[in-house]
Amino acid sequence: MTETIIFYMLSAVILLSALGVVLLPGLMHSALCLGLCLAGVAGIFASLGSDFIFAAQILVYVGGIAVLILFVVLLAANASEKMTRQISEAWLPSLLICSAFFWAFLKVTRYFSGLSAQTAPSPSVKAIAALLLGEYAVPFELISIVLLASMTGAVLFGRRKAE
Amino acid sequence: MTEETIKPLSEPVYNHAHGRLLLPGTRYWPTDMWKSPWSLPTYRRGAAVLAGLITGGAAAAWFVGEIGPRLAPLYAAAEAFALSHDIPAFWISVVWTFIKGAILLLAPLVNALFAVWWERKISAHIQSRLGPMYVGWWHGALQTLADGIKLFLKEDIIPDCADKLVHTLAPIVVVIPAIIVFAPVPFGSGLVFADIDIGTVYVFAVGGVSVMGIIMAGWSSGNKFSLLGGLRSAAQLVSYELPRTFAVLPVIMLAGTLNIAEIASSQAGYWGGFVPRWFIFYPVVGQVAFIVFLIASVAETNRVPFDIPEAESELVAGFNTEYSGMKFALFFLSEFAYVLLSCLLMASFFFGGGAAPLPFLDFLPSWAWFLSKTLLLMFCFLWFRWTFPRFRVDRLMDFNWKFLLPVSLLNIAAGGLLIWLIS
Repeated sequence: MTETIIFYMLSAVILLSALGVVLLPGLMHSALCLGLCLAGVAGIFASLGSDFIFAAQILVYVGGIAVLILFVVLLAANASEKMTRQISEAWLPSLLICSAFFWAFLKVTRYFSGLSAQTAPSPSVKAIAALLLGEYAVPFELISIVLLASMTGAVLFGRRKAE
Repeated sequence: MTEETIKPLSEPVYNHAHGRLLLPGTRYWPTDMWKSPWSLPTYRRGAAVLAGLITGGAAAAWFVGEIGPRLAPLYAAAEAFALSHDIPAFWISVVWTFIKGAILLLAPLVNALFAVWWERKISAHIQSRLGPMYVGWWHGALQTLADGIKLFLKEDIIPDCADKLVHTLAPIVVVIPAIIVFAPVPFGSGLVFADIDIGTVYVFAVGGVSVMGIIMAGWSSGNKFSLLGGLRSAAQLVSYELPRTFAVLPVIMLAGTLNIAEIASSQAGYWGGFVPRWFIFYPVVGQVAFIVFLIASVAETNRVPFDIPEAESELVAGFNTEYSGMKFALFFLSEFAYVLLSCLLMASFFFGGGAAPLPFLDFLPSWAWFLSKTLLLMFCFLWFRWTFPRFRVDRLMDFNWKFLLPVSLLNIAAGGLLIWLIS
């Protein structure tokens, strides 16, 4: 009962803030709504009993990605943006594409929708670490190589030309 | 000035500044105050008061003993009473969580009351002043309370060009993480609100959310100084988050757990019977980790020498320029809450939490050791503020990315090497 109430409250927060990201005037408000939306997803993770994913979501997405987006908005924002339209010209094709994706996700997630979840966060760090550094060590290292390559590329492009 | 120009006193004079009686016939030089501080009665009196405070505090702590085991029968009695009145166990746990939360809430609030007064006294004494002396009975002890009442009564001003909603929400977004971040932090053995397995990750994750509130405050004020302050703050906090987190990694590797209370308790015991097994005493790795963590913590709490987000000489007051009354007080509260958090974390990560520094001192309860270590570290935080000049904004970034981050990364490798050597 309590889990259901919490789930619906978090879902309402996520959906409303996601709508806010798309519909609110002003880049800053959209960025703040994005932060709220990501925090709501973290709340869902916590209510499903996955403690590490909850903390990682807050650490990476709310404390990292959303803050970086806010930072970009602070650098790029100007006063006239409140007047610009929020709905693009191609709203009908985008709506169709989105509905197609939504339908596909619905089909996929339907199989897992009835599963019961643990409610209290149970320690999962050791299990995750054992998987990442044991069974999935190669994909894990591959991802780190991809990240390293992208970081090196960013440094290369961001570097000033030598005189 | 030669000796002849200073005339011997003709009558006894009481020198209030140095608290001593100058007898007739003495030649009093202005530099006498540096002669030997122990010749000044105030100095001796202050030392006696300090010794009395430490002895009295230790006696009180010894008398109280461990708090956790003392309160356990109280909780058991309350639970039995509630169960005998047909209250379901679920509601008992809900109410108990709320009570614990209310107690935990006192930590940042009381800390702010005390730390603001302490900071003003320390700054005053470093600058040869007296600081607050009038409110309260002893050395202006109630000055912060009076300031709090003043802040309550102040008008809440929202500028015309501010974004009203975001401007109002910003202090809330700053202060809520600053309070809930204390959940997995221990205050002594058994004194932890939520003994969760991922405590360390939780603390760094939730503590990082406050920067959103600071950006919101800077942007929504409609003031260029605030905007600049918010920008600088975002850049600084996001950057210093990295070495701060990496500095803790060797500690986590050595302890083998993310639970803060378990990290603290894993440092129990002594080498050779007298050197505590604290992580700061692990060769090189421990000291480097501690220093990087300390520097990055000072930067994370926006304090001098890293206070460029609110640098008053260039940005008025940075992101909180346009805030008044309680909203301003909330920013202040969260700053001191983060100082307390950093000190508690350092005490648990590097100084063995509630462990006594020497084996024969363990008659004092763990919370007393925790508190004294935290207060000592907090003194360092307040001391830095009045000792170091402010960084320039680009030097600040260089220092982080070109020095702290590589050092902390190397330290992780050194930590691995150390573990390999030990095992």
